Amino acid sequence: MDPRAWKRFRKNKGALFGGVLVAVVTFAAFVGPWVAPHDPALQFTDTLIRGDTGLPAAAFTVTGHPLGGDAIGRDELSRLLHGGAVSMKVAFFATSLAVFVGLLVGVVTGYFRGKFDFLAMRFVDVLLSIPFLIVATAVQMIIDSPSLWSLYLLLGLLSWTTLARVTRAKTMQVSELDFVQAARALGASHGRILAKHILPNVLGPAIVIATTMVSTMIIAESALSFLGLGVRPPAASWGSMLKEGQEFLAHAPRLVIYPGLLIMMTVFGFNLLGEGLRDALDPKDSR
Amino acid sequence: MIAFILRRAAFGVLVVAIAVTAVLLLLLSFGDPCTSILGANAKAAQIAQCRKAEGFDQPVSSQYTSYLGLTKCVRQSDPAWNDDPAKRGRCGLLQGNLGNSMTHHEPVGAVMLTRLPRTLLLEATTILFELFLGLTIGVLAATRRNSWFDTGFMATAFLGISAPSFVTGLLFLNWWAFRMGWFPVGGYGEGFWDHIYHALLPAFTLAIIGAATYARIMRSEMIEQLQSDYIRTARAKGLPEWRVVLGHAVRNALLPIVTMLGLTLSALVSGSIITEQIYAWPGMGRLVVESIVNNDIWAVLGVVLFASAMVQLGNLLADIAVAALDPRVRLQK
Amino acid sequence: MTVRQPPPVRRTPRNVAFTRALWRHATVGVAAFVFGLWVTGCPKPPDGPRYEGAGADKPTYGGTFRFYVTANVRSLDPQIAFDTLSGTGIHLMFDGLLDYTNEAKLTPVLAASMPEVLEDGHTYRFRLRKGVHFHDSPVFPGGKGRELTADDVKWTLERLLDPKTQSPGAFFFTAIDGAGDRQQGKTKDVRGIKVVDRYTVDITLAELDQTFLNSMAMTFAYPLPHENYEAHPTDVSFHPVGTGPYVFDHWERGVRITLNKNKHYWQPGLPYIDRMVFDENLTPDVAAMRFRNGDYDHGHHFRQPDYIFFSQSDKWRPYMFSEPDVTIWGYFMNCEMPPFDNVHIRRAIAAAIDRERWARIYKGRYMPTGQILPPQLMGYDAKLPHAQKFDLDLAKEEMRLAGFPNGLPDPITVWTQEGESAKAQAELLQADLRKIGIPVDIKPVSFATYLTESGKRGRVPMALSGWNLDFPDPADFLDVLLNSSAIHDVASENRSFYSNPELDRILNAARVEPDEAKRTALYREANDITAHDAPWVFIYNPIEFQVRQPYLRNYTVHPVYKYNYRFVWLDLPRRRLAP
Repeated sequence: MDPRAWKRFRKNKGALFGGVLVAVVTFAAFVGPWVAPHDPALQFTDTLIRGDTGLPAAAFTVTGHPLGGDAIGRDELSRLLHGGAVSMKVAFFATSLAVFVGLLVGVVTGYFRGKFDFLAMRFVDVLLSIPFLIVATAVQMIIDSPSLWSLYLLLGLLSWTTLARVTRAKTMQVSELDFVQAARALGASHGRILAKHILPNVLGPAIVIATTMVSTMIIAESALSFLGLGVRPPAASWGSMLKEGQEFLAHAPRLVIYPGLLIMMTVFGFNLLGEGLRDALDPKDSR
Repeated sequence: MIAFILRRAAFGVLVVAIAVTAVLLLLLSFGDPCTSILGANAKAAQIAQCRKAEGFDQPVSSQYTSYLGLTKCVRQSDPAWNDDPAKRGRCGLLQGNLGNSMTHHEPVGAVMLTRLPRTLLLEATTILFELFLGLTIGVLAATRRNSWFDTGFMATAFLGISAPSFVTGLLFLNWWAFRMGWFPVGGYGEGFWDHIYHALLPAFTLAIIGAATYARIMRSEMIEQLQSDYIRTARAKGLPEWRVVLGHAVRNALLPIVTMLGLTLSALVSGSIITEQIYAWPGMGRLVVESIVNNDIWAVLGVVLFASAMVQLGNLLADIAVAALDPRVRLQK
Repeated sequence: MTVRQPPPVRRTPRNVAFTRALWRHATVGVAAFVFGLWVTGCPKPPDGPRYEGAGADKPTYGGTFRFYVTANVRSLDPQIAFDTLSGTGIHLMFDGLLDYTNEAKLTPVLAASMPEVLEDGHTYRFRLRKGVHFHDSPVFPGGKGRELTADDVKWTLERLLDPKTQSPGAFFFTAIDGAGDRQQGKTKDVRGIKVVDRYTVDITLAELDQTFLNSMAMTFAYPLPHENYEAHPTDVSFHPVGTGPYVFDHWERGVRITLNKNKHYWQPGLPYIDRMVFDENLTPDVAAMRFRNGDYDHGHHFRQPDYIFFSQSDKWRPYMFSEPDVTIWGYFMNCEMPPFDNVHIRRAIAAAIDRERWARIYKGRYMPTGQILPPQLMGYDAKLPHAQKFDLDLAKEEMRLAGFPNGLPDPITVWTQEGESAKAQAELLQADLRKIGIPVDIKPVSFATYLTESGKRGRVPMALSGWNLDFPDPADFLDVLLNSSAIHDVASENRSFYSNPELDRILNAARVEPDEAKRTALYREANDITAHDAPWVFIYNPIEFQVRQPYLRNYTVHPVYKYNYRFVWLDLPRRRLAP
């Protein structure tokens, strides 16, 4: 890697801020479960459900529960802290997997073209044609007691297609450029061309798509949890908390706002970080 | 060119066939629709009767061949249909029959034909919003780099990408439709212009993520293009700046957008599921969920057939458009 | 070949500047965005009805009645439709020989009186009302609706039993003599249905069944003219012709159905409304907002937070209905699978559920119960001796009797259906069972999976389950859910696979018992046995919650169909209240 990349990255306040945001959220995800004041599954119904209305208690109204309770009387703060760990793991593993597969397939197919390209793209077509819910149901049938790992795999293996297709298009475009043709004419090996010329050029759009994927993954986890593929109740994740709070949007909007803001903050951090990384790695500035 | 299209079409049919077969086998392994369509109150006798009548008591292989229409087919219009139930054969795919939807008590083709125009209307409005917002913001941001306009809109784009559509959808519905009364509160309306009026808010919700993505991609592509040689040449030739930007830079920066538009077409059905749900828009998205939830096998297959055909079409159009925009990219395979 | 250098690029670190600028401007952009949302979201929504009526004390005629359903209407063919939503539509266009009053009692409609039981005890003689005409429709020669006769009753039931019709309702009429032969396609005619004269028809049962008259009140038996079927053999659903108060006009599939007033309705002076418009496919959120806007005249299917809103609003409260539903919810336990083959475990679980706590969380929506029969049905007893109730000491004692004083070593798997409310209920159960040392593993599955799998023998140990009536008779709960005759290897209705010969004997006797008092006593006994043996933990009867606009009159919640729109009227002109 270009030694000046780090220097450029360091000078970039926005990217640093993004990095700090991501670091904070990651840190919170690691220590959250230890510092949470209560068991996230414990239902303090009488203290946290307002008897006159049946609505969950709001923030700062019950001592010992700074953020109040959720729809069935559990401590909101503890659930947010525990949920963060799950959501961050999902975001990290599933996105990494998707980016890895997507980049690999996109670059290889776009650079070499030929039969493999053709087969891979037709496979992508088949994948895109089958509704997500059906695949999820099939996995649910096959795996009797799914773990979080099966969730990462499922999300990762189903989400790489967009990235692959965009990367492929970009690779095709870059491969036709003069400097790649020149390198090829000079006898550079494929590996060298891919690593030195193609990859740095396709990384930009890839990072943009990957950062949008982070939020998709966090949300998709909650969509899967209703099929029993997400977190197992009573465990929490930000996505599932967002979904639980959805019907209270008009009457206790904080049940949506807390996890929603956290997801937005995390994604915002990833976006800034991604943008900064892209700038730092951009080969055009390094020459 | 024509040979290219023909070859792609041939392989497209193959891909569709593979997708449909895979889904059919999966769905048949989940069980049959009788249980879920008759609902929680169904009795064993009712379910058995339904399975027999709909042919779900047959082995998988014969269900597959009869769906495809390889077995002898007695059409519903034939007199034999009513006279002798034993002779009754389900006309299949090859005869242009997609089977009957059990949830709707109607042929799947007819159900899809009523739903499809609604989704197309919604999607078309969405794409207009996406392109208009995404391209305008992207180009303006790139030309006014690091200005208030640029950073302000890009920050909003970051936010737009990170907001899940079921949250934004509900918020817009509650705020702009219910509280402010600017838009109708969900539904489909009556008459063409009313449909469009009803489509505005859901289309905007759907367009946010697309527009934000387009704006970001457009911006970074534009910046790259604006720094390349040919732009400098064009400027040196003394072309007015707007012609340099619109005529040269935008044209080349459009490539990734076109690829992504092709993907939009392939996500025609799946992309609108959540938004259709929130705004009670009676289109294909809701049909998919309904059919999958009820395990309405023939309806799901009809949708898969349509969706995979759209994927093929989207790819083909994207490839052709890319070739048309960038002469350096040749059409291969 | 000339080798060109890669394109030269300006040295200014352009993007660094961008992210720096972003960092400076982003906060302002975000703040402006949030502020914009806040400002546009600021106006308070109306906290009460937007319109009120003119205050008439006599029914007013005319107007358009607008209502909705929250899913697709599947069919408007009375012999095909098998869901409440479709039933709502069919009920407006068709009449039955019998129907239910608002107290869930059978009452004659197209029949001139309740059918008399002939001397053999197996035959019901229905005498039809004279001068009832079908809707005017092109299916009739000349377009004029003809008179309803006994032949129509016979033809309708034979169509229902015809294997070609594939009616899911045929099941409810198999008791009729000769129905089986018709169902197998052996005969065209059902020998148990005899037309005596133009207005009289006799229906003979192969064996006694006190619940049969309920079948005649189901929409499956609502007379359809054969001309309708002959004109539209495959799509009666789009051209329904009945005798009811409203005439079918148009159906835009998946969007809305419109009906017009039947000007020649046989009940003089009815109906009041000129036009009925009902939207299908709505979601609860959209429905609630539109209803509050005044776009609909009647509201239902609200979610818990909307219930809280309406019940907290002084302005809405007078127009609310909350009536207990004839439905039981709870968890069944598979009595063939360990640990639920042990009755003490089942009793411990039944005693460990803190039903009052559940009712507090779902305030106003759940009525706690500890028996299978809902309060509206014969055999229900508020003081049932063995009714299940929350008693932690009893639960621990039962755990000791079961041989697990310290709780179960392995978690039990509890299946639950999709949706946030089902998930929350599983979590409530989990928390309750934790107190007696039973760990619970929750397995959420889709509704279709739940239905298919829970009917299979030895597959689902315990699951959230509910039962909504087919017809208001205790047999529809006890016989279907707990009689051992309802156990099958697949598609079992008795999902707890509970088999008790003593209970079977009582239920089979009650089914044919003509004396109402004796019948009630038998069902009460069966009710007590099932509460004590706990094949289910019975938790609550849901409360049906509906709201009307102030100007909607003569509306009542129906115990069987839920919505009773047939003879509502609008107090017109409606007056807009201050926002």
